[in-house]
Amino acid sequence: MGWFDAALFALLAVLGVAVPLSGDGYLLGLAFNLALWIALTQSWSILSATTGYVSLGHVVFYGLGSYVLVLTVGSLPVPLAIVLAGVAAAVFALVVGLPVLRVRGPYFVILTFGLAELVKHLVVQIEAALGQYSRLLFGMPDLPYLYWWMFGLAVAATAAAVAVRRSRFGRGLLAIRENEEAAETVGVPVNRLKLLAFAASAAVPGAVGALAQMRTGYFEPGQAFDPVVSFSIVTMAVVGGSDQARGPILGAAAFLLLSELLWSSLPQLYMIILGVLLIVFVLFIPQGLAGLLTPPGRRR
Amino acid sequence: MDQLLSGQLLFAALVTGSFYAIVALGLNLIYGTLRLLNVAHGDLVMIGAYTAFWLLSLVGLPPVFALPVAAGLCGAFGWLVYRGLLRKLLSNPQLAQRVEANSLILFYGLSVILQNAAALAFTASARGYRYLDEVHHLGAVAMTGNRLLLLGVAVGLCLAFWLFLRFHLFGWGLRAIIERREAARVVGVNVDRVQAITVCAGFAIAGLAGVLVSMTEQITPFMGFPFTITAFVVIILGGLGNVTAGIAAGLILGFVETYGMALTSASFRSVLIYGLFVGALLLRPQGLFGKAVRGA
Repeated sequence: MGWFDAALFALLAVLGVAVPLSGDGYLLGLAFNLALWIALTQSWSILSATTGYVSLGHVVFYGLGSYVLVLTVGSLPVPLAIVLAGVAAAVFALVVGLPVLRVRGPYFVILTFGLAELVKHLVVQIEAALGQYSRLLFGMPDLPYLYWWMFGLAVAATAAAVAVRRSRFGRGLLAIRENEEAAETVGVPVNRLKLLAFAASAAVPGAVGALAQMRTGYFEPGQAFDPVVSFSIVTMAVVGGSDQARGPILGAAAFLLLSELLWSSLPQLYMIILGVLLIVFVLFIPQGLAGLLTPPGRRR
Repeated sequence: MDQLLSGQLLFAALVTGSFYAIVALGLNLIYGTLRLLNVAHGDLVMIGAYTAFWLLSLVGLPPVFALPVAAGLCGAFGWLVYRGLLRKLLSNPQLAQRVEANSLILFYGLSVILQNAAALAFTASARGYRYLDEVHHLGAVAMTGNRLLLLGVAVGLCLAFWLFLRFHLFGWGLRAIIERREAARVVGVNVDRVQAITVCAGFAIAGLAGVLVSMTEQITPFMGFPFTITAFVVIILGGLGNVTAGIAAGLILGFVETYGMALTSASFRSVLIYGLFVGALLLRPQGLFGKAVRGA
């Protein structure tokens, strides 16, 4: 990790601690959202940036986390429910991972998307059978409490993303991206690594879903499993640049800034600018913001 | 049971299935030749639908004549997109390396632009018009004129494409690129030209489908995304890039949806579609009719 990353992470950590102490509700809400997207995008990168298996269905873990919280609210203490949401998402990833990860390339992209939609519609059916179409949650913890959790998750996801990239595990995952057959031939246990990476990239989003659920206080499957979340994760990773751990942070911050500036006043214009930015980044800045900020001499 | 055997249900399944087949056809051509995930495909259907609506309400042009206009408009847009964006994406090896993620984001950007530009220009309110909605009877089956037209155009289009791929030299070149791009280049297929024309054709078919669907459904700036999803489900079922199997898969999906909903209830539609899709992909990753696909 270079000085730039160290400085960036330290600055964010200081800001992350300072914001709730300032007592400003608007800033805290903003910081909550930033931590949320950093946690989601970093988690996504553990599987998708390293192995090249691009998941377009990460909202499924987020949504399952929300649903676990909704089902356990009142009967479990809040911290336990949050942990359970993360565990449930990871277990779901382990269960479906083996068949899902057999499928590669564009098939994997569309399969993960389809899987998330299938789970969404199954939850809709379950809720309908239970006689529920949407649920309101009352007596949820206040924003500062939720913020500390979310901040912790963002830090944990970032630490995990950094650690994975530097570990033997991460090198195995990179080998899968470069050439899966060759990696398997030289003895990389590709199936086990992929499955572990899938579960690792699911756990934090599950807990994030539970926290986001407590923040909104309103559960509706279409919202909890909104495919836009999956698209946003991939978008932030691409714009930020997902080869380095700082990328998802820069991507999430850039989008949040843009949406704060434009979303409330000119929503359609905001979306159009977003679309143009996506195209510009893909075609002209493929390394993302993280690549732009690399000092010229060290650019690879 | 009587209801299940009725010609009415069969007609509904055929109309839905053939519509799915043509929506997926355009997407499949583009994936097959360029390996790009065009998630903006449904938004071209939306543009076709608005073309029909505005031509009818501003100029009074009957929607049948909007078919070639929408096809031309979307085809021209396809040419621009190919020349302006896709060629750059494909020619840069660094970008081509992660072509799934990159093409996904590129087309997602395009989709977001089209949807919101349409919402800005036409407002988000739903629009519609009545056209050819008189009922014809064939035996016990009642059918509206617009659905008959949809069925006719869709079947004609699928048939024409099948013949074209089978017997026309350009169709052979197209199939050669789908099967083995580098080899096609070596034997003298003009890959760039075939790709450009394929993108135009794929977009144009989506525009046609949009005109057809606007006769029976409401038009909104955000109507396209569900069509994108359905089209992806269809082409994955048929095997990505396998054009004729994709047409068959479109019909199958139409039948599964129509009969499945008749057997259960309309609220199960999405569970049926995604269930079929996820199940098929897990059991047969190459698609229902696929041989093992290299590089998949």
